[in-house]
Amino acid sequence: MYIKSRRGWELPERAATPEAVFLDRRGFGKVAAAGPMLLALGGLLPGAAPAAAEEADPSAKLYPFKRNDKYKLGRPLTPADLVTGYNNYYEFGSSKDIADAAQALPIRPWTVTIDGMVEKPITIGIDDLLARMPLEERLYRHRCVEAWSITVPWSGFAMKALVDLARPAAGAQYVQTTSFENPDVAEGQRASWYPWPYIEGLTLAEATNELAFLVTGAYGKPLPKQNGAPLRMVLPWKYGFKSAKGIVRFTFTDQRPVNFWQAIQSSEYGFWANVNPEVPHPRWSQAYERVLGSDERVPTQLFNGYGEYVADLYKNLQSERLYA
Amino acid sequence: MTATAFRPWLDRSGRLSPLKLAVFLALFAPGLWTFLSYAQGSLGPRPLTEAIHQTGLWAIRFLMISLAVTPLRRVLQWPRLIVLRRMIGVAAFGYAALHLAIYTLDQAFDWRMIVSEIALRFYLTIGFLALCGLLALAATSTDGMIRRLGGRRWRRLHRLVYVIGVLALIHYVIQSKLDVAEPLVVAGLFLWLMACRAVVWLGGDDPGLSFPSLAGLAVAAGLVTAAGEALYYHLANHFDAWRVLGAYLGWYFDRRPGWIVLAICLVLSVASLVRAHRAGARQWRADPRSGAAEAA
Repeated sequence: MYIKSRRGWELPERAATPEAVFLDRRGFGKVAAAGPMLLALGGLLPGAAPAAAEEADPSAKLYPFKRNDKYKLGRPLTPADLVTGYNNYYEFGSSKDIADAAQALPIRPWTVTIDGMVEKPITIGIDDLLARMPLEERLYRHRCVEAWSITVPWSGFAMKALVDLARPAAGAQYVQTTSFENPDVAEGQRASWYPWPYIEGLTLAEATNELAFLVTGAYGKPLPKQNGAPLRMVLPWKYGFKSAKGIVRFTFTDQRPVNFWQAIQSSEYGFWANVNPEVPHPRWSQAYERVLGSDERVPTQLFNGYGEYVADLYKNLQSERLYA
Repeated sequence: MTATAFRPWLDRSGRLSPLKLAVFLALFAPGLWTFLSYAQGSLGPRPLTEAIHQTGLWAIRFLMISLAVTPLRRVLQWPRLIVLRRMIGVAAFGYAALHLAIYTLDQAFDWRMIVSEIALRFYLTIGFLALCGLLALAATSTDGMIRRLGGRRWRRLHRLVYVIGVLALIHYVIQSKLDVAEPLVVAGLFLWLMACRAVVWLGGDDPGLSFPSLAGLAVAAGLVTAAGEALYYHLANHFDAWRVLGAYLGWYFDRRPGWIVLAICLVLSVASLVRAHRAGARQWRADPRSGAAEAA
């Protein structure tokens, strides 16, 4: 007999926001900023694409993943429409309003390459990878460097499991992620003077920390494209730009990766980017954050409140620029 | 008290001026739009941040438009525009003040934080200085103050507006996360207008603003904007300047600030041509009725 126990955040279908309201929620933003984008999409109806993508996604039947309750939020979950409607994804433009443009990204077939200092390079389809990983759902806080934050029920697998699969060589110290490069669909990438593709990285110690999470879904469903489908990284103790979207490659290396934002503006964005309210961004204080949805202005916490899991990683690294 | 005291929709003779009324009402439009959008919840998930951005944007736009009045009077052969300059300038101050007010709201009136932020963050410091400058100009914008200061002192004080404009543009560029296209367009237009003024100033009595010279200046403004963009990205972000310039001929050409500046300035040049053709070649003369407030 099938007994379904509802998890706290599960809503019945009837409680979902009506589609018409959902599609019209960014009325202001569309008028102000999306004119050229809308013309470029040739009047493509925004409603049809996401639904179709969901049906065609072969991983859809895996959801929802089993909840791992270990990581506490300490604040309510951000409503899904905010998380899926307010996005930084410079591949598709520099406004927050890129959700429609992101629908152009094809997410199947999607191959993940694991190479560099590993026992044997692996090239695997995302669905095959998912079949081999321990899937679970975790609730994390997400703190953008722009001083706003959300909380998201992410679905994915521990990054440690991917590192174990890769079997890195003895000298490997870092994992570098490379995101997709496709200027035909990602308009922002036609600005060839940006150092595309989006590179991010972390130390092997950080990657095998229990918190490092590779994500393929949110809110009990496959990730929307604007949130980084089909595969993104989530490092909740760091500023959000470290949590790369649309990953196609993991490279194990002994060279510290130069991540995208560090390459563009190293005075403001570095490699470590751990959250610290006492270390300001050169242009604004990081002491507070605006919580989306509740609109509260709350004090920011060291390591975004995850110090008990990650503080030890940095004990002997105090000479490094840890907080930018 | 003159007939126009605090009734900006009247002209100096006390009659209703449709032009002044229309512009006066239009000055409130962006603020009203922003407020209504805020009330409706359509400013996005960070409505205060968006409101700060919109008010700052319109403060700078109105500042630049007020600076455009004097050169446009010649370019469009429309001396009457002078009656709009004061209210547009005061609107710039109004939006800048609102910009700061919403910022303090966003900072939850944490005065220690606000003061330390303005002191510590360079772009906030210069923004605040620009606002102080605008306050001084707004406070001395009344007919009474013009009389009290006298034409020469008033003109000297109000030349501050150029410094304020530059400070405001730098504030805008620095606060941009990465994409500086809009401030560059504003800067490019500002340059064209100042170049038009310089041509007039250098030319003495001869207006010197024929269509060929206006169009030539438009091309120059576009080129300087393009070069400025490439140079900025190269210095600030280590981008390859040639790649940025290459985009002017490629995929992204319609978004490039240099092309936008060229297009707008050419439109204004053509408008000038149309105006001149319609009015006959009207010899420019200083208009005594525009009062002591006409800048040199």
